[in-house]
Amino acid sequence: MQEPQRHKDMARRGTWGQPPRDLRGCPHVPLRAMSLCLCGFYVFAILALMPALLHGQTIPRTSEGRPNFTGVWAGPGFTHRVGPGDTDTPRVTTYDTAKMSPFKPGGDAFMNRPATRDPIKDDPTAGCLPNGLTRQILSPYAQQWIQTPTQIVVLYEYMHFFRVIPTDGRPHKKDVEQTWMGDSVAKWEGDTLVIDTIGLKEWMLDATHDSKPDQLRIHSDQIHVTERLRYVDPTTVSYQVTIDDPKIFTAPWSQDFEMKLHPTWKIFEFVCEENNRCIFGKCTEADVQKTSRE
Amino acid sequence: MKIIPFLLGALFLFAGAAFSHHSFSAEYDATKPVTVTGVVKKVEWQNPHIWFYVEVKDESGKVTTWGFSGGPPGMLARRGITKDVLKVGDVIKVEGFRAKDGSNNGSGGNVTFADGRKVFAGSAEDVAPRE
Repeated sequence: MQEPQRHKDMARRGTWGQPPRDLRGCPHVPLRAMSLCLCGFYVFAILALMPALLHGQTIPRTSEGRPNFTGVWAGPGFTHRVGPGDTDTPRVTTYDTAKMSPFKPGGDAFMNRPATRDPIKDDPTAGCLPNGLTRQILSPYAQQWIQTPTQIVVLYEYMHFFRVIPTDGRPHKKDVEQTWMGDSVAKWEGDTLVIDTIGLKEWMLDATHDSKPDQLRIHSDQIHVTERLRYVDPTTVSYQVTIDDPKIFTAPWSQDFEMKLHPTWKIFEFVCEENNRCIFGKCTEADVQKTSRE
Repeated sequence: MKIIPFLLGALFLFAGAAFSHHSFSAEYDATKPVTVTGVVKKVEWQNPHIWFYVEVKDESGKVTTWGFSGGPPGMLARRGITKDVLKVGDVIKVEGFRAKDGSNNGSGGNVTFADGRKVFAGSAEDVAPRE
């Protein structure tokens, strides 16, 4: 018997004691039962697709049909314990060592450095210098996204940093200068926004030193960061960060976070120099302290 | 009212890291905990961290005004803590860590009011990473 014919016969007869099935995979039974089978299949298919259909209908979209990220967000630096009054829970967040790829020779020593006890080196933000990407992604402060058909502007509450990211799929410009926030370009992969960043200075990977004062984590100037953002429900965005730092790691690695939309929030003013009273460990005397001394 | 510096041990270790505009260790000494009780003289609800000043009188009658740093206003607000929480004239106990320069300043990780309410201990405080 030729192979295709044998398969058809097996399907009609049934195998391993199961009832005979037609070529659609339904039991070989009278027309009414077959209609029921097909109905069941369609019901199953609709139920399976329903979340996707609802998802597509309910996430914010632009007039062009793109997912719309415009709004004020609690980013990856929050634990998203949303409470009364639309509050959320900021938390100093660091990249998870368990997610990282193996080190290249010398990579561990390059990234994990002992504290120097010089505050400007151990945490330059103490002197109001920037977080820089990648630490900024994990900032426990709000951020506002403004989306136009050709670009996205991200306004970070923390120290008023911002990013202007073209979304038209253009490549990075040539001869990118190394800066704290780097050169970001973005493209759409379906409903996923993919942001690609290069041109970053050698700087803090995250705020590991906040909980481990004897240790700093530094990324190299070869780092390449990819952020992938996708709505998972109308107020939640899956935020995946992929870090490719060939000076440190043998391969790129990723960590998944979330952003939560907060419709009632506005970003606050944050002027780091306003009242940075103990800059680099030397405190300035306040007026009420002078009075009590006199 | 008196100044009661004493070792609090690991319970409040790195409590100031909660506030994280920058590293706690850049400005404060985790080996020098301090506790004071006194009257709030001034509150600065400003960036990068709030500051509040507490007038403390020792047994000889000498008055010292301590300055304590708290969380950034934005981080506190995101958790529902507004500037109304601390008022001039409130009597509070502050537990924190002294500034590295030895001045009468510190990181004020925990504030307890006369009626026993703890403001920062149960709210902004656990913003700190616990790795």
